[in-house]
Order: sequence, then structure tokens, then C-alpha cells
Amino acid sequence: MKSPEKVDVVIVGSGAAGSVYAAILAEADKSVLVLEKGTDRKLTDLYSSQIWARRLKWGAPHVFEEGRDSIWYNFNAGHGYGGAAMHHYAVWPRYHEDDMQEHALYGKGLDWPLEYDQLRPWYDRVQDDVGMSGDAEKEIWRPPGAPYPLPPLPVFEHGEILARGFTELDLRTSPIPVAILSREYKGRPACIYDSWCDAGCPTGALANPLVEYLPRAVKAGAVMQADSYVTRVLTDRKGVKATGVEYYDKAGKRHEQPADAVVIAAFTVENSRILLNSATDTHAGGLGNSSGTLGRYLMSHPAVNVFGMFKEETRCYYGVTGGQLFSQDGFEKEKSGEIFGSRQWEIGLGTKPNDLLGIAMSRADLFGNDLHDFVRRGSRHLGAMVGVCECLPHEDNRIELTGNKDKFGMRLARVTFNLDDYARNLWRQTADLGVEIFKAAGATEAWHSPPGGQHIMGGTIMGNDRKSSVTNEYAQLHDVPNVIIGGPSVFPTSSSVNSTFTAHAVALRSARHIAGHWGELAA
Amino acid sequence: MSLSRRNFIRQSGMALSFSVAGRTLLLTPREAYAREMPFSVLDQAEVETLETVCDHLLPGARENGVAHFVDRQLLLDPDYSLLFIKCFNVQPPYSDFYRVALAEISRLSETGYGKSITALDQASAVSMIESLRDGNVPSWNGPPPPLVYHALRNDAVDVVYGTMEGFADLGIPYLAHIEPPRAW
Repeated sequence: MKSPEKVDVVIVGSGAAGSVYAAILAEADKSVLVLEKGTDRKLTDLYSSQIWARRLKWGAPHVFEEGRDSIWYNFNAGHGYGGAAMHHYAVWPRYHEDDMQEHALYGKGLDWPLEYDQLRPWYDRVQDDVGMSGDAEKEIWRPPGAPYPLPPLPVFEHGEILARGFTELDLRTSPIPVAILSREYKGRPACIYDSWCDAGCPTGALANPLVEYLPRAVKAGAVMQADSYVTRVLTDRKGVKATGVEYYDKAGKRHEQPADAVVIAAFTVENSRILLNSATDTHAGGLGNSSGTLGRYLMSHPAVNVFGMFKEETRCYYGVTGGQLFSQDGFEKEKSGEIFGSRQWEIGLGTKPNDLLGIAMSRADLFGNDLHDFVRRGSRHLGAMVGVCECLPHEDNRIELTGNKDKFGMRLARVTFNLDDYARNLWRQTADLGVEIFKAAGATEAWHSPPGGQHIMGGTIMGNDRKSSVTNEYAQLHDVPNVIIGGPSVFPTSSSVNSTFTAHAVALRSARHIAGHWGELAA
Repeated sequence: MSLSRRNFIRQSGMALSFSVAGRTLLLTPREAYAREMPFSVLDQAEVETLETVCDHLLPGARENGVAHFVDRQLLLDPDYSLLFIKCFNVQPPYSDFYRVALAEISRLSETGYGKSITALDQASAVSMIESLRDGNVPSWNGPPPPLVYHALRNDAVDVVYGTMEGFADLGIPYLAHIEPPRAW
């Protein structure tokens, strides 16, 4: 068998973070190979259908979930080119200053190894790259940063109706910050508000990886390779340097891909699983695990979907999936009673009849003709928004390996996740407030969902202290610096904001650093 | 790797491929039901249980081809599956989930109501579904009953309302960027 040619960088995963690394490092004249576990995919494959959209979700290998709370792994993770970002809603708020210094300020959670001001220019660059719509002035909670390059999305009936409830309760709303184009931008068309965002946007209006960073990567010479299932990072005999990765192709044939640097950007659980499965005599607890924190501090946002029926027609099937309006009133972390953590609202969610967040599932108790009647009413009169809450990082919430193995003999992952009382109480408060807002907006009936899990973070957290974290501020493993981790697995805190924008910004900052210090890395 | 549209439809399973008299037919689940096309994974008893429960969960699911849809999906690799249970993190293979769940529902009908599920009157069927939904099923040896309830209920919703025809029936615009193949 001919050995694969050595590359400068092999990147595992083609989602939000992997695509940024691929573009920046290829543009820095590095030879880049992107290995994607899932299928090849083009924009023309993105059919407008909640049923078809499930092709974009994770299916295997199975992730065992334990604990009282679910992280909804399959629903949040992705499959194929673009990863989870292919079905994300593109709601892109920024982390706040205090999100990143939580322990220093509040004595809870952890601190990032960098402050907001260090990340701010990277947020600004990403939003300029992809095109973001919003109104920085009206988004009064927004931390400092460049104005959005595009004006906000329009607000339709659904948003206007729900905004009444916020106004009645003296809560403020703003246009929602989204990586969706309100106007043509860099040759990409504006959104047409048909609300199929989570089925994958084929028009290019939503900034998924197939639209911006992967095309840039390919143009700069990066090679994309689908159906390539990476199982381990390979290291030299001393265990101080990664030498490449092991992967299996679609036919089940094993390969070793040599590289000077390895980027693991396979989403939160797989990032930890690959590193844990890369254990050697030198790294007995898993690669990058000298601190014992690999796989720990798993986080997910406890979310509550709030629903209501209105006399008016809401046209809830219209707009964008992630909402028409936004509010971070209530974002302050210290709240009365045993409640801690930030909260935000995404208001006027585009809602179709079927699927997990669809009209029928909003009243999961109904069946038979009652369900028919409800879906018929709901398709015209339903209102929907989501309250997203913070959860603190706890070391016992973690990703481990089980005794079960995949078809290549690699151990599968098990996650254990339990929300603490702070998050549980915050979720309850948010659910009650959401129903109150809907009633104030004039809903004839209002209710909320059980707890759901949005976004998955942690497991390979950043930190200044190599004894208590897995990666440094540039997402390099403390133990093996030519292994770089991409994605929200490096976040030490969850905030309550959607993670994709920050995953981009952190990856862009890191990728530029890697490119600028290549000599040290590849030595 | 790029698939032709026709091959992709086949592999994805949204349209069902049947070989009849040397010709390949691509049918929607509704068409497959109307033509009484054969099943690949589920046996006849499982099909009858699935169709009956789904039709109680959402009348119309049977003639919209819920059993053909599920049966076809069970042939596929979980990464390519379009089944709702994928969202619920059910451990593959999904055929195990359906086989056990349908057998338990059948047993529940016989032991709890004294009749096969296809012979249950409406009141008994409603009672049985409520017990699944509420997790109030003694001696159940399968996936959690509420999970079974949600899985089958959503299969029914998918085939009745998750299609272009379903949207049209509701009187709301489908607004496709790219229409799903074969108007399904």
C-alpha cells in the first residue's frame, strides 16, 4: 500500500471550526487535508423538508447519555460536509465580557485564558467575512464591537405579536443578530424568509460552511475528503509530537495520514472521544490529558420553548428558523434566590408542522383527531420563542469511553450530564416568565416545553494552567502543542448565547496564530 | 463522491424503489401503500401493528404509507436515516427499537384489553395510547413507553403533515427553496 503523502495540516471535521482552520491555513500556503466522517454534500442537496433535514444530523457512532439531563447529542451534532453548522439557525450573539471571567467576578464557574477584548477583533473579522445582519445600537446588551455589516432582518407578524408581550412587561427587544443576509453581500443573495434554515440553506443567504470558509479553503488548495472516519491521533515515540491521524475509508480500509499539525474539529463529544482513544504508554489517560480534565466540564444550554395560540394569524411558518427578534433583558448572572446564570430570548421562531420543534410536537400530549385540530389551528395561529439559559461548568459532567466499541474497535463515548440547582431554577424562572410574556402579548392559551438541550460545549477546555485545562488560549493541547482543537469543546463557560459565532472567532484567532508561528509548531 | 439524483433518492429512501417485472418503480410511501408493495424489514404482524397504532395517533397515517416509510428507513445506515427517533438518540440499529416496541404494543393489547390491536375499539385504543404516553404500562419489556409513543406519533405526523401535500392540506404555503424529490 502506498503511504499517503504527508501534509502540513490534517483537519478532522469540516464544520464551523474546521472550515475556518482549513481556509486560513490553506491561504497561508499550508497543504491542508480535511477529513470528514460524513458524506460529501453540496448546496443543491439541501432539500426544503424537515424529514430530509435529518440527513444533516448525527446518526452513528452512538453516544450513550446518562444523568438526569440530556444534551440531545444527535439533534445538535451534524453529519457530512459542514457538520452541525449545516443545520444551525445562525443566531450569532457574542459572549459578554463577564462570561469569560466568571470565576474572577462571581466566584462561580471558570475563567477563560483570554478576555473579551482579545476576542473582539476576531468577532469583527468573522462578521465581515460571512455577512451579519442586525442593529448594534438597538441591541443594547451587546458588548463593544464593530457595527453589523448589514441592516437587520425585517420583522413580520409573528415577531410583532410576540413583541407586544415584552413591551407590556417592560422588557426590551431588538432585531436578532444573525449570520443571514438581509441584503446581497459579496455576491450572495439576501434571505427570502422561507424558514427552512434548519434544513440547510441552499441559497447562500445563511453563512454555513459550504458558503464561506470551505469554498475559500478549496480555492486556496485545501483538499476535502468525505467518508473518512478518524479514530486516533498518532504521536511520535516520545509522545511529544503528533505525527498524523489514523482513519478508515468508506470501504473500511485503514490509513495513516502523516501531518505536521493536527486539528481536531469533530464537535464536542467526538473531540474528547478521539483524544481519549489516542491513549499511548506516554499518554495513558488519553492524549492531552495530563491534567485529568479531558472530557470534563461538559455543558449544554438548558432551553425552554414557549408556545401560545393567538387570535391573529401569526404566519409562524415564515421568517427564519432562529427568530425575528431578540432580548437579553435578564442576562445579568446574579439573580435573586438560588438562581445564577444568564438568559436570552429568541423570539418568533420559524415553525413548520412536523419535527422536534414543530407545531405538532409543541403539544406532544395530543393524538387522534385532537392532534389534527391542533395542527390545523397551530399552522395559522401559533406563536413560538425560546428562552436559552446558562449552565455552569462542573467537572463531573463529562465525556468518557465505554466498553462498547464501534465497527473499527474504537471505544464509544458516554456522556454524563446533570444540571445544577442554579441552572434548574433559572430554567424554571425562564419558563414561567415566557408564559407570562405570551399572555401579556394576548395569547389565548400559552404553555412551555420540557427542558431541552441546545449547543454542546466543554470537554477540552482552554486555560492558562495546564494542571486544570486541556488546551491553551490558542486551543493547542498543553501536552502536545501541534494538536489544535476546534469548536465549542474548548469553551470553559457556556454563557447563554449560541455558540457558533464564538466557535468561529476562537478558531480564526487560533488559526492566524498557528499560521504566524508555524515554524515553532512544525519544528 | 457525488450521487446522481436518481441514485440519491434511492439511497435516501424518501421514495421507495421496487423492482416489478424487470422495471424499477420509484414510489412515495403513499403510493407504495396504495399498490400494496412488499416490505423489506417488518413482517406482516409488525406492519399491521404499526399502521394501526399510527392511525390512532393521527388518522390518515396508514394510507399515507407510514409503514412503508418506516420499513424503508430501517434498511439504511443510521447516518442517512430520516426517522424521527434519530433525534432521540436511540441506539442503532433502529430495527431493534421498532421490533421490540411493536411486539410490546401487540402484547399490551392482548393482555391488557383481551384483543389484538387491529380489533380494539376506539375507546380501548385511546386508553392504550394514553398509557403509553403517560408511561403507565406494567410489565413492559421494551424501550420506555413514552419514547415509543413519541416515535410512532412523529412518524405519523411526518407522513401526514411533513410533506408538500400535508402543507397544502393545512392551507399553508410550502415555500421550498429546493423541493424534496417526488413531491414527498
